[in-house]
Amino acid sequence: MSPRDELDLLRSRVSIISYLVAAILAVLGFGFWQLQVLQTSHYWDLAERNRIKEILLVARRGKIYDREMRILADSRPSYNIIFIREGSRHSPEETISMLAAGIGMSHEEVLQKINRKRKDPLYQPITIKEDAGVEDVAFVMARAYEMPEISVEFQPRRLYREGQLAAHALGYIGEATEAQIQNSPDLNPRDQVGIAGLELVYDSVLRGKDGSRHVVVNNSGREIETLPDEVPPVAGNDLYTTIDLDMQKAAEETMGERVGAAVAVDPRTGDVLVLVSKPSFDPNLFAAGISSADYSVLRNNPNNPFHNRAIQSMQPPGSIFKIFEAAAALESDAISPLDHVYCRGSEVIYGRSFLCWEKGGHGSVGMYEAIVHSCDVYFYDLGKLLGIDRISQFSKLAGLGRKTGVDLPSEIAGLIPSQEWSRRYKRMKWQPIETINVSIGQGQIGVTPIQAAYAIGGLVTGGHLKQPRLVDPEQLRKLGLEAPEVHNEQYTIQENTVATIAKAMWGVVNDGGTGATARVEGFDVAGKTGTAQVVGKESYKKGIGGNTEDHAWFVGFAPYQNPEVAVAVLIEHGGHGGEAAAPVAQAILKAYYKKKTGHFKDATADKVAAIMQSARPR
Amino acid sequence: MRLRNIWHDFDWTLFAAIVTLSVISLVEIYSATKNSSIEHNAVFRQLVWVLIGVIFLFVVAAIDYHTISEHIPWIYLGSIVVLIYTLAFGKTVAGSKSWIVFGSLRFQPSELVKIVVVVAAARYLSELRNIRYATIEHILKVSLVCGVPIILVALQPDLGTTITFLPIIGLGLLVRGIKPLTVAVMIIAFVLALPVAWPFLGKHQQDRITNFVNPEHDLKGSGYQVYQSKIAIGSGGVLGKGVFKGSQNQLGFLPTRHTDFILSVVGEELGFAGVAVTLGLLAFILFRSVYTAQTARDELGLFVVMGVFGIYMFHVVENVGMVIGYMPMTGIPLPFMSYGGSSILAAFSAMGLVISVRRRRYVN
Repeated sequence: MSPRDELDLLRSRVSIISYLVAAILAVLGFGFWQLQVLQTSHYWDLAERNRIKEILLVARRGKIYDREMRILADSRPSYNIIFIREGSRHSPEETISMLAAGIGMSHEEVLQKINRKRKDPLYQPITIKEDAGVEDVAFVMARAYEMPEISVEFQPRRLYREGQLAAHALGYIGEATEAQIQNSPDLNPRDQVGIAGLELVYDSVLRGKDGSRHVVVNNSGREIETLPDEVPPVAGNDLYTTIDLDMQKAAEETMGERVGAAVAVDPRTGDVLVLVSKPSFDPNLFAAGISSADYSVLRNNPNNPFHNRAIQSMQPPGSIFKIFEAAAALESDAISPLDHVYCRGSEVIYGRSFLCWEKGGHGSVGMYEAIVHSCDVYFYDLGKLLGIDRISQFSKLAGLGRKTGVDLPSEIAGLIPSQEWSRRYKRMKWQPIETINVSIGQGQIGVTPIQAAYAIGGLVTGGHLKQPRLVDPEQLRKLGLEAPEVHNEQYTIQENTVATIAKAMWGVVNDGGTGATARVEGFDVAGKTGTAQVVGKESYKKGIGGNTEDHAWFVGFAPYQNPEVAVAVLIEHGGHGGEAAAPVAQAILKAYYKKKTGHFKDATADKVAAIMQSARPR
Repeated sequence: MRLRNIWHDFDWTLFAAIVTLSVISLVEIYSATKNSSIEHNAVFRQLVWVLIGVIFLFVVAAIDYHTISEHIPWIYLGSIVVLIYTLAFGKTVAGSKSWIVFGSLRFQPSELVKIVVVVAAARYLSELRNIRYATIEHILKVSLVCGVPIILVALQPDLGTTITFLPIIGLGLLVRGIKPLTVAVMIIAFVLALPVAWPFLGKHQQDRITNFVNPEHDLKGSGYQVYQSKIAIGSGGVLGKGVFKGSQNQLGFLPTRHTDFILSVVGEELGFAGVAVTLGLLAFILFRSVYTAQTARDELGLFVVMGVFGIYMFHVVENVGMVIGYMPMTGIPLPFMSYGGSSILAAFSAMGLVISVRRRRYVN
């Protein structure tokens, strides 16, 4: 091979190599064509999302007031620590190791928070710590450059000023669940919504509309400029409830740690003045994202603090049922109030002996004495005379055994038995002997505290049943919002019947009856005690070591003429109604009376009181 | 050699392409660093390096490449000494001990050593006469010539620069002639060597390879950088967002944007048009070199120019491929475009060599 030929050979190889390189460069050129010409809008969006950060301007949730414009729930400023995975230059592991210790959380806790939202889109912020303290916020802000993926978010947070007070009425809020978000188009993930109570029922009223602001940020998350397209947040509407803070406090303090419920309504309007359920919980715990430890303490409480006993606890009414039975008897003209029954302390009916709670017997009693002293024998006879259907028909008409329609979630109906009910649900004929039990409010019968207050209020106002509500729908209509329908009812009841019953109930409290502990000096309180045996389940309860103590009831109203307040108190396993339940009612009514007369704290007030005193019936 | 000969038959077209690239580079380096507190005067330093580079280019072009080849043993030994000195007393930047510091000046000797290795390898290959295929002995010898500096650079450790030496051997042997079977054996040996070499690679080098093979594996680290680069380029569209107006660049989303990712800045701010001009000029420089190689007077000239072509072809393909995710991430700069004095001096000197070969293309 000559040098010339050899050079030519090398040159030809050079040519081949250059064609190969040209081909490679063409492929790379095509890569740019693909990115810059074919897919440019996709990458434009990604660049814009890098550059522009949306800042959520969280709307303030409406405040909740009591009837005297005292704040029950409002909002306070708080800060969340959030993590945005999109565009982060660290792996989540790296971020956690830089973050966790600084904000007082364990590696696992942070990891858990992230894993729970792992399937969310990357741009969706993950809340790492809610309601972070000043030190945590300072820690994160000082490291904005090292950890641009972690930031601090402002969020107005719910503050229930009175803690546990009226917790079951107010309810609580929390992060919207996936189901809620799917059902409601205006909800976004991480939105705070009502979960229980008024917060849930009036969520759309209270919840505002979040706004947004767009800012240009650099790669370390520093805001360079604000774009002019800010949408300001619209605060939610305030909610004015009918609750009376003073009466509510009086009720809760008197009930203490006992398990039960108390309800007070204004029978003229349906305003719910008091709604207590015990044990309770602090709704503030939910506002800051309840810790699993706190939650399991509440969940494992055998008395279930989440159970709203005022509307969800159905118990045999005991002797408070005698009021309705007496009214039913008078309305059916079966007896006259003056008809007497002789009580020997027990009576044999349908071949079985039924005891009166007074072993020595009450002697000869008319309706007044029978109610005042709660004579069982009198009502056994009345029950036998009326039969289950007449009792049940009137009780239902009077508002028992069905939902009152109060504006709180998950109310239950209770149970008033009838022949048809027995046929339909028990698939057996009603036994007349059971009527005898029912006639003193025992056995297969159950009412809720709110029903008891509702029905008593309706009875003593001449059959005007005002649907209980915590929010006057009129205020919502004025705001142009959708308001729930209110179903007020009226049933016919003779004036004499009302007068007879009311007078007897006055006697229970003021004439040596079983309810003397409900008495409020100067305020004509009328009422009826109830002591419901925890029967039927007795053997079962013994088996698990349960409480077989009687349930204590008290229903009442005041003043005796022109009633303004109707109350119902239930203390589960509280013992005698007069001892356990009536003092709670007394505290509620005392608080009411104090306010009613508090405006005239001078000689005139005393005079007014004196006049009212002298007007007492004999 | 007379000085006026420098202007005789000088390749002004190639020079114009280099100057145009340098202008685009200076504008975009300024755009990429004007908001940076650390690098804000990078453009002035780059301008100084370019001017020094032009001087190097003219000086090298003026010297006959045969003269350089004659003196290459001493230059080669000197380079080895400098590399050993760097290993012993050099400054460590980003994990690599590859810098020599003179006062405020930093210099990376490995860049200029590439040119020395090109000439050394070319001299050896051009002296093999009357063979169709290189034998194993030839392959081992040329590998030894290149291998000593390569190992010294690899020890720094600077993987990116190390692999830019490989095309000198590869292209040299391909042009010299090599049996297809030998090529196949070498490729198989390389593939088999990968798992063996894997544990010796640094963590970030392993990550880069993993991320290239599986880009969705991790959008952080090197995956994140390439992702941001693609966003910058893609969002630039056909005509770009305008100089100084690229959000990915100006707001700092682009990593190492004035050095390795300078083409992403061009892509974002000047669009596909700007990229086409830049790649066009780079391709022109490469193929002008190929043409120079083919018209070279002798084999030495051919191998010298093909060595230069090999190095810079590899730089261009790797860097351009990297910014669009076609190639794994390495710290290999884009010639004439990326910020960095050593690589500018090396590239301009290399072009001086090409021009030197071209000026003497006619057999006297």
